[in-house]
Amino acid sequence: MRPVAVTGLGVVSPFGTGVKAYWNGLSAGVCAIRPATLVDTEGFRCRIAAEVPDGIGGSPRRSRADRLALAAAREALEDAGLSRDERVEAALVVGAVGGGMLEAEAWYWERFRGRRPASRLAPGATLPFAHVEALGNALGLEGPRETLVTACSSGAASLALAADLIADGVVTAALAGGVDALTRVCFMGFNALKLLSAEPCRPFDRDRRGMSIGEGAAFVVLEDLERARAREARIYAALAGHGMTTDAYHVTSPHPEGEGMVRAMKAALARGRIAPAAVGYANAHGTATPQNDRIEARAIRAVFGAERLLISSTKSMIGHTMAAAGALEAVATVLTLVHEVVPPTAGLDTPDPDVAFDCVPRVAREAAVEYAISNSFGFGGQNVTLLFGRA
Amino acid sequence: MDPKEILDELKAILVTRLKFDPCRAGDMALETPLPKGIEGSIGLDSLDFIELSIAIEERFGIVMDESQDLTAHFRSFETLCRFIARKAEAA
Amino acid sequence: MARVVVTGVGVVTGAVTGGRERVRAFLASSGGPALSVPGSALQGLVDETETRRLSRVCQLSVAAARIALADAGLGPGAGLGLVLGAEFGDVRSTREFVDGYLGRGPAGLSPLLFPNTVMNTMAAATAIAVTARELSLTLNAPTVAGELAIARAAAAVRSGRVAAVLAGGVDEIDPFLAEILAEAGAVRETRGEGAGFVVLESRDGAEARGARVFGEIAGAAWRALRARPYGVGHGAGSRALAAALHEAGVAPNDLGRVWISASGDGPRDRWEQAILEKALQPARPQQTALVPRVGRHSGLGALAVAAAALDDSARPALVHAIARGGTHVALVVRGQGEPGSQRVSGHPQ
Repeated sequence: MRPVAVTGLGVVSPFGTGVKAYWNGLSAGVCAIRPATLVDTEGFRCRIAAEVPDGIGGSPRRSRADRLALAAAREALEDAGLSRDERVEAALVVGAVGGGMLEAEAWYWERFRGRRPASRLAPGATLPFAHVEALGNALGLEGPRETLVTACSSGAASLALAADLIADGVVTAALAGGVDALTRVCFMGFNALKLLSAEPCRPFDRDRRGMSIGEGAAFVVLEDLERARAREARIYAALAGHGMTTDAYHVTSPHPEGEGMVRAMKAALARGRIAPAAVGYANAHGTATPQNDRIEARAIRAVFGAERLLISSTKSMIGHTMAAAGALEAVATVLTLVHEVVPPTAGLDTPDPDVAFDCVPRVAREAAVEYAISNSFGFGGQNVTLLFGRA
Repeated sequence: MDPKEILDELKAILVTRLKFDPCRAGDMALETPLPKGIEGSIGLDSLDFIELSIAIEERFGIVMDESQDLTAHFRSFETLCRFIARKAEAA
Repeated sequence: MARVVVTGVGVVTGAVTGGRERVRAFLASSGGPALSVPGSALQGLVDETETRRLSRVCQLSVAAARIALADAGLGPGAGLGLVLGAEFGDVRSTREFVDGYLGRGPAGLSPLLFPNTVMNTMAAATAIAVTARELSLTLNAPTVAGELAIARAAAAVRSGRVAAVLAGGVDEIDPFLAEILAEAGAVRETRGEGAGFVVLESRDGAEARGARVFGEIAGAAWRALRARPYGVGHGAGSRALAAALHEAGVAPNDLGRVWISASGDGPRDRWEQAILEKALQPARPQQTALVPRVGRHSGLGALAVAAAALDDSARPALVHAIARGGTHVALVVRGQGEPGSQRVSGHPQ
């Protein structure tokens, strides 16, 4: 199988547009979770979210999620410097959940109340596949095209599937990532499940009270390593392995022993032929629900042993960005290897004694890490682990 | 409210919100266990319990504190009815 | 690289519900369109808790997956993956969830319904029902999601990433969805509903367990053709067809039949003809469309692959699908009628 390199990065995050703004926010440990403005929060216990600030650009005729995706995808493609001809052949794999749901909701709300809605998106524009249609057409990508929905691990799974296409020799380059705009359905649903915290989430803290939600988009350009070297591309990192497993246990609860998570992490290591001891950092799924953090920590410990590994949660700063989360966290993990700085877990004051790791509280840590993993888990027990190595 | 009245309300919730067959709900008695995996239970899982607790909050005007372990109260209709009656009295 | 064989099929559609024997009988019969799945089709295929907890579209998926695994003689458990294609997801539950809020405020929101608003809900329910613990993917695409899922699953088996996989898809006709599509002036095509899966395995694995192989996915490829979103393109130069034929080592002249995706959407159907003509000329293999009998839905891909495999023709078949927007899938299927095709005996059911 052919090794895979990361040669381009693009991000739109609650810190604003661009990889630079994202890394500045993460490495400074800034929390971007604030009172929500995009959805009506009246009557809900949690009224906060990590929203992308104004200035994402793009035509207002496109959905917010399409605009987030386009901005991040353009940055990644320009960063990689792929030629027009190379783009035509490249694969496009996008992890998505909401599609144009935010706009579809506005329309449906009006309709429900008996008003005549002003306008609406085409039915197709409201579905998750809307993004590949928009990106493929706007950016001239005519290779294999897929929209992947594995709930909260969609963004990570998109990188895994794109890497498979390169490893199998189907394509030499791929644009892969995840996107989600905030939606009423998501905000209301996690509120109904009582999984949202009224205050910004505090992963791995003893007094954590649940998650915060966010929005954003992140894309990476993946390339056949040999070809990337041959064209003298900037190589950020190697995507050295990945694992995708399913709990087949419960629709919203992870397996109590994290059995599927363990298998995903082990599969990623096996695929990369990397020993657990070579891994120095885990970008955790780290949602800050009591259940996830404890089970994830137990699963990481089962694979890597205790105490040695540094762990942090990007969600402590930008919330859980749904289908974008796995891709945003993959970029955070790659930048950790590049800058030799581990971003912190913001808001972590009192470590949970059940979490036997250094979770890098509040302040970033300098550390030259050789290999790092990024974990993403979704409803339906959909576990993905990505393994990155230094270029 | 006496336990029998509360039981009837709970059965109504099981039919309307948890989509139980009305005939099946008719067979449920105070001593019937709730959580799945217990002999003779109606097979509720964690997601069912969240749905049930929200419906109880709405119907009886009480607040369930999910930071507390409520497992013991959700063991059977009997324990749940007693819990609701106590909460409703305090409210 | 492993050879990818078809060892089972299960479909739940308006016109046919069952495994390979039912599909064979369906293909030998004729009849007009049967677009909706009758309630009786699910009888005995979902248990009491599933009937209560799973939405209808999830039940369709679970039922078809169970039929396919039984047809393949595979028990639940180790080594099983799932790749599910869907165009719309669980629209019915999503609307019910939202209406709860709009009607009664936050207290009207149902935690039980919320997971159904995410399109992987059918795959999640199915993975739990049949204990599929390897990769489980939901691929969302307009009109060709089932074929796309089978192509992706075949690639995963070929490269050894999974030993056995349920591949196919599901969609449901929800009255609200039908109304929205009509209001939006959606094209006139024959839409149906249903679920369908094939079981794909490596040939070595299937042989080792004495499976009843009835076909082989000899080539699978998917690409995009240039087109505006939801639009029909002008170009007909197909990289997917070339790649699938190349992988299978099949020349256009070898093809016995093409199972086309024609659905009554005129411009798209003409585009498909232009693509096939350009890629296969001067060969003009016979064409068959299944949509007129069962409607277009994401369960159709599995039915088409099974039909291609069950065909008694001595030549390989092509399963072809192109969607508005340009997603394009080609599968080369060798059937059991081919000389030298591997028919492993055993496992009477």
